[in-house]
Amino acid sequence: MLELADISVSIAGTPVLRRVAFRVGEGETVAFVGRNGAGKTTTLRALMGLIDYTGSIRLDGRPIDAVPAHERPGLGIGYAPEDRRLFSAFSIAENILLPARVARLSAAETKRRLDRVYAILPELAQLAERPAGSVSGGQGKMVALGRALMLGTRLVLLDEPFQGLAPVLANRYAEALRALRDADRTLSLIITESNPALLKHFAERTITIERGEIDGRAAA
Amino acid sequence: MSHIIILAVLDGIAYGSLVFLVAVGLTLVFGVMRILNVAHGSFYALGAYAAASLGLGLTALGLSPWLSYPLFVVAAAAVGVVVGGALERLLLQRIYRHEEALQLLVTFAVFMILDNAQRLIWGVQPYFYSEPLRLLGNVSVAGITYTAYQVVFLPLVAIAVLVALRLFLRHTLAGAVIVAVTEDREAATAIGVDARRVFLITFIIGTTLASLGGALAAPTTSILPGMGADMIVLSFAVAATAGLGQIEGTAVAALAIGLGRSFAVFFAPELEVLMPYLIMVLVLLVRPEGLFGKATARKI
Repeated sequence: MLELADISVSIAGTPVLRRVAFRVGEGETVAFVGRNGAGKTTTLRALMGLIDYTGSIRLDGRPIDAVPAHERPGLGIGYAPEDRRLFSAFSIAENILLPARVARLSAAETKRRLDRVYAILPELAQLAERPAGSVSGGQGKMVALGRALMLGTRLVLLDEPFQGLAPVLANRYAEALRALRDADRTLSLIITESNPALLKHFAERTITIERGEIDGRAAA
Repeated sequence: MSHIIILAVLDGIAYGSLVFLVAVGLTLVFGVMRILNVAHGSFYALGAYAAASLGLGLTALGLSPWLSYPLFVVAAAAVGVVVGGALERLLLQRIYRHEEALQLLVTFAVFMILDNAQRLIWGVQPYFYSEPLRLLGNVSVAGITYTAYQVVFLPLVAIAVLVALRLFLRHTLAGAVIVAVTEDREAATAIGVDARRVFLITFIIGTTLASLGGALAAPTTSILPGMGADMIVLSFAVAATAGLGQIEGTAVAALAIGLGRSFAVFFAPELEVLMPYLIMVLVLLVRPEGLFGKATARKI
């Protein structure tokens, strides 16, 4: 489904990713683990086209390297960044719906996707009218997941979703991810995490990245 | 004495309305694109020249002078779309990733080029086109007679622009994506927003507002090469006083600076030019982020 080959990234002349390569199958959940600064976020940003890279990324066999960043969500890729990055000028509902509006989805399709989000994350329906700037960090992570799911119909990238979450909220988040997998067996997930133990009962496969390089045995 | 105060207030409102139109375009462009566009003043001058040329053309063709009002909007939009659009697409898009000093230098160079282009096209003699000022007649405010164009029409246009901008940003998809890009360009891109297109639209809106300010100023002043330089400095003062990127704050700051300047004209003429900057300095000494700006942490 997804294949990264020889992805390298340099920032201000310093190599940050070195020939990163791995595959993710349809419906597979992959834990992408490594210490802080190992290159997890950079890999996801390269996948979203948010950073210049060399190498090749293929989705369903087709190279997407020439697809500009703003068109990649249209390929069915949803992205929830590490620090939530909600739009504070909007309500929670507006944050979740904005990707659908930008993609000009039909009203029926928007409703179908929103219902799916609320089925997996029912707490978001309660928060819908709250300003995005007023929710807690944990709630913000849920909103970021909901927003990513509006366009992420093939692949969802979650960057450190458990970081900073209280244990109760972390359990709730993991529960939502399980519900998501149960609801859609074809959806692939890449979840980055600094602490591999958090994902060991959850992910089907773990890929470890260290200093911009990954362990090739786990990558296939 | 009270007559002078009323006159100063009317003057300040009229002047503040024009300054607001230019400054709100500048602050919108900065808020979204994080670029201080020194060439913004050139659009004020181009708007004035375009409006006066079209207005004089109306007169020469024997058409109704009332057409000059819609022509102001047409002139402003033409300058914003054609010159502003070309500038953003051909030049600015190449320098967004560069440091701010380079952006300032490039837009200053554009300002110089456009200033000289005005001399080439319209010459160095002043243009006058006061017909729209005469058409609306005079109004009497507490015994003071003033042109309706300046104390009624210009403030109404400024208020209409303020309300329209707010409604546009709050209730349209184009406005929502502009707000999203303003807050977080990368997060907006990750949900499918084409930030390059947003930058183009924003720049066209910003430069159209500056041109509209110039077009509306045309009947009230002599149109001369270099008129954009005064306005850009004043607009910076207004935008900085309000807090860069603050739309409603720009309206308040424009009014305050307009009033400050006009009171200086009547009560301390030697401070006329200095007054807007004195107000700015005083505000920034107390609130470095501006009256309505929010202090933000910056990575260095």
